[in-house]
Amino acid sequence: MNRQTIWHPIPEESNLHNQQDEFLNIPHGEIIALTCICKQTCTLWLDMSFIVAGVEFGARMITIDGKQIKLQIWDTAGQEAFRSITRSYYRGAAGALLVYDITRRETFNHLTTWLEDARQHSNSNMVIMLIGNKSDLESRREVKKEEGEAFAREHGLIFMETSAKTAANVEEAFINTAKEIYEKIQEGVFDINNEANGIKIGPQHSPTNPNLPSGSQGSMQGGGCC
Amino acid sequence: MEYFKSGLKSVLGTPQEGSQPTGAETVERLVDRVHSSTLLDDRRDACRALKALSRKFRIEVGAQGMDALCQVLEMDRRDCEIVGYALDTLCNITAPESFEDEEHASLSPASVGSVGEQFTEIFIKQPDNVGLVLGFLEEYDFHVRWPAVKLLTSLLANKPKDIQEIILVSPMGVSKLMDLLGDSREVIRNDALLLLIQLTKGNANIQKIVAFENAFDRLFDVISEEGYSDGGIVVEDCLLLMLNLLRNNTSNQNFFKEGSYIQRLAPMFNLPAEGDDTGWSAQKVGNIHCMLKVVRTLVTPGNPAQVTLSSQKTMKACGLLETLCNILMASGVPADILTETINTVAEVIRGNQGNQEYFANVMAPSNPPRPAIVVLLMSMVNEKQPFVLRCSVLYCFQCFLFKNEIGQSQLVQTLLPSSADVANLTAGQLLCGGLFSGDPLSNWFSAVALSYGLVENPAQKEQLLRVLLATHIGSLPVSLLHQCTMLLQQGNSVQSKLGLLMLLSMWLSHCPLAVKQFLSIPTSIPYLTTQVSAGSNEHDENEELVQGMCAFLMGICVTFNDDTVTTFSKEKLRQLIEKRLGLETFLDKMGEVSRHELYSKAAKHPQLRPKQPSELLFDHEFCRLFKALEGMIIKAVTPKPQGDLVNGSSELSMSASENSLLLQYKDLIREQDHNLQELTQTINRLTMDKSTLEAQVEDMTSTISQLRDENMLLRAQANTSLGQVTDGSSVGHETFHMLEEAQAEAHRWKRESEHKDMLIHKLVPYWAKIKQKNLCFSWMVLDLHQVGSQTATVTGVGVMKIPHQLVKFPLRGCKCTNRTQNHSPCFLKKWIQTVTLN
Repeated sequence: MNRQTIWHPIPEESNLHNQQDEFLNIPHGEIIALTCICKQTCTLWLDMSFIVAGVEFGARMITIDGKQIKLQIWDTAGQEAFRSITRSYYRGAAGALLVYDITRRETFNHLTTWLEDARQHSNSNMVIMLIGNKSDLESRREVKKEEGEAFAREHGLIFMETSAKTAANVEEAFINTAKEIYEKIQEGVFDINNEANGIKIGPQHSPTNPNLPSGSQGSMQGGGCC
Repeated sequence: MEYFKSGLKSVLGTPQEGSQPTGAETVERLVDRVHSSTLLDDRRDACRALKALSRKFRIEVGAQGMDALCQVLEMDRRDCEIVGYALDTLCNITAPESFEDEEHASLSPASVGSVGEQFTEIFIKQPDNVGLVLGFLEEYDFHVRWPAVKLLTSLLANKPKDIQEIILVSPMGVSKLMDLLGDSREVIRNDALLLLIQLTKGNANIQKIVAFENAFDRLFDVISEEGYSDGGIVVEDCLLLMLNLLRNNTSNQNFFKEGSYIQRLAPMFNLPAEGDDTGWSAQKVGNIHCMLKVVRTLVTPGNPAQVTLSSQKTMKACGLLETLCNILMASGVPADILTETINTVAEVIRGNQGNQEYFANVMAPSNPPRPAIVVLLMSMVNEKQPFVLRCSVLYCFQCFLFKNEIGQSQLVQTLLPSSADVANLTAGQLLCGGLFSGDPLSNWFSAVALSYGLVENPAQKEQLLRVLLATHIGSLPVSLLHQCTMLLQQGNSVQSKLGLLMLLSMWLSHCPLAVKQFLSIPTSIPYLTTQVSAGSNEHDENEELVQGMCAFLMGICVTFNDDTVTTFSKEKLRQLIEKRLGLETFLDKMGEVSRHELYSKAAKHPQLRPKQPSELLFDHEFCRLFKALEGMIIKAVTPKPQGDLVNGSSELSMSASENSLLLQYKDLIREQDHNLQELTQTINRLTMDKSTLEAQVEDMTSTISQLRDENMLLRAQANTSLGQVTDGSSVGHETFHMLEEAQAEAHRWKRESEHKDMLIHKLVPYWAKIKQKNLCFSWMVLDLHQVGSQTATVTGVGVMKIPHQLVKFPLRGCKCTNRTQNHSPCFLKKWIQTVTLN
């Protein structure tokens, strides 16, 4: 039951205490077996976690360096049957979480295919994170942590093991991915004016911020908060 | 035409004199040239000619040229011109509609329509063909890109499902289509919009990808470029696409909400300035209609509650609700826009307390200022207002009171004497006015609206009982309930009767106090009885509905009866139904209601969508009530099964779960019955065993006492003989002889007693058997050994636990082991002493 999730950044309205901050929408990730993770991390997914057939959307707010970032997460099914559909979601994603199940080796074996797909269809700057899920089930482990690390090293990915059940490292997985993307933005690797990169700047953009060109405001959003 | 002919000539060469080639022949030659010509120019010319013929000789071109054209798409894709011609030709032959100048003499008009579909089918037999066309979307040349878009649109129109699947699995297929929205050439962008509308119809996967490709942003950009609601038909197309993406697609609705797109909806409802007559063009009306639909899609009652609720919150927070309420109160708004706006406001506030509260405080700019609700209700009870508008007000009122206890109690409060404010027109007064007006439709609307104040709210049902009306000046005030019952009996319109019956049903259900008051009205039950027992063919079929509703109301009176009105207690009403009306008739009439077509329609969706006033008979909330109570009522009026129906088929009247429960219990009882019988038999057998054993024990006891007596006798004899020996020494030898004799005899007796001892041991197992059956018998066996010696050893046997284990006690200071608990050492000692003395 592989599952991938793709993140798409969303503009976020300003928060009252932090009027000076710009809001970055941070892109997508690509994930296998995120169902469980989502179950723990996004209340939004509580209901649909069992039925993700194809693709489901969810959103999540995180804060990095005092800046609010809204992650648009597209939880995509990992089954082969959905491959042609989920392929459409690589383009326009800024980040991807590839999730495998440490208690099922076949999900690990499948990673290469997904990674190829991701590399082929995505922006070359897309941040990809490798995640071994279900770390709470140590007794049933089939894939060693070292194997995951080795795979990640070989392909230049960030690696983490998480447990959606105990919520261990789940928040971190999202934050680390977002951080990586955020750093890339600051280094100027991503062109934030190009929405195809999966990044959108919300309203309340501060023109004084040196990292962002002043003309770079994205589509303006109405005020208020949801 | 001349030009065209000369063009043909140049391609085909000069035709032979006198033999004008037929269309089919021309097409054949052209196709052949496209196929086999080695020169690109030749093929291009032939293609151009085919395109020119493809309308008039559509069937010929399609039948013969399909392969050639596909080959061009594949082989000559570098040459934009020839590809353009090929695409145009394909466009013509697969067009869903037929052309004016088309030649189809040999075909019946019916089959013409499917020509395009058949060619589409042939074309997509090779799915790669569609992939090729998708590829041409990336070609910037107008003459390639545009026909490609049009061709895809035609294909989609003919075979929507197949094309959707093909595009879905083509790599980046949907993405390529989405890129077209960014095309600076408006024709292409607009046609791409139409294409996307077709593409997203009913396919959730495509809808999600389109949304993922930033569709909402792009659409909003287009809409704002075009001037929001003042824009042309493109705005409407954008909104239609948006609707397709959102309808029944929870994932996209979430995305829409999380992406803050709701906020972008608010500025779209900008109204024309006051007094500007040109402000409401037909297109603007259309645009606003679509915008309202988009809003409603997000909060429609059919959505998951969580999506609706958070959308509603956002709509209030971003001012959208306020904007919509402004439209409600603005002047000069066309009636259909107003109607749809009322419906939209209804769904934005439905079941959301905050929004309902906000709406309750909206004031109309009238003089004096009145709450918007009151103004709306005034329209509802006004015969002159458009029918659909009145329906929408009712829907709005329903949504306003949906799960809104505060609103419900405020409505009822306006009717209570204490708070009656004569100066101000209140909602309650308006509804009462409508209830008693001469217009059946107003009666119906008011009755139903009033019933919304009572939905799932027993407190208000009791409060409403306190409402008194002064019908005539000088006459005594009557209660509202009484008045409603009176109206029911006097009315002649089916519609107003049904309205009143629904109100009464809602009122009386789950409220014994209301039932009591209703039954106290002398004419109430007689009226209902007459109605239910009336023949069915008297009037139109809707009359049967009234009868059915009367039966339902009567059923409510039975179900929620607390027996305080003795003349119509639960049991008496049940008897009345059974004996006077007949249970079958009663249930049949009640069934009329749920069998009615309009009932199922009303039960389906909270909003009623009647086309004409005569279709307004049932209300959604009432249908919910009916559904919930129908089973209860059937149970309540059905007589309890009699005693002879022990395992009778009362299953019919029970639900599946009750039924299975019953069967389960029946099984249990059968099993227990069986067990009981077995146990009784066992007890009988044991009792018999016991009496037999008791008899045996008695026998043995007597045997033992006999033996004891004998033993005593023997000892006495032995003592005597010993005494004789010691006393008379003279007797000497004789005495010695006698002693020997006595000793021998003692030995004999000893043997005999040993023999009897064994006998006793044999009997011991019987005792064990008795003990096993928890019958407690005990006895004691004593054995006297060595009768001949001066000291006697007594063996006491603790018989309770270990009959086979003999415990020996010395004559004096005998100890008792714990195995002989039943016989205290004292007892043994005493007994033994007695024996010794003897």
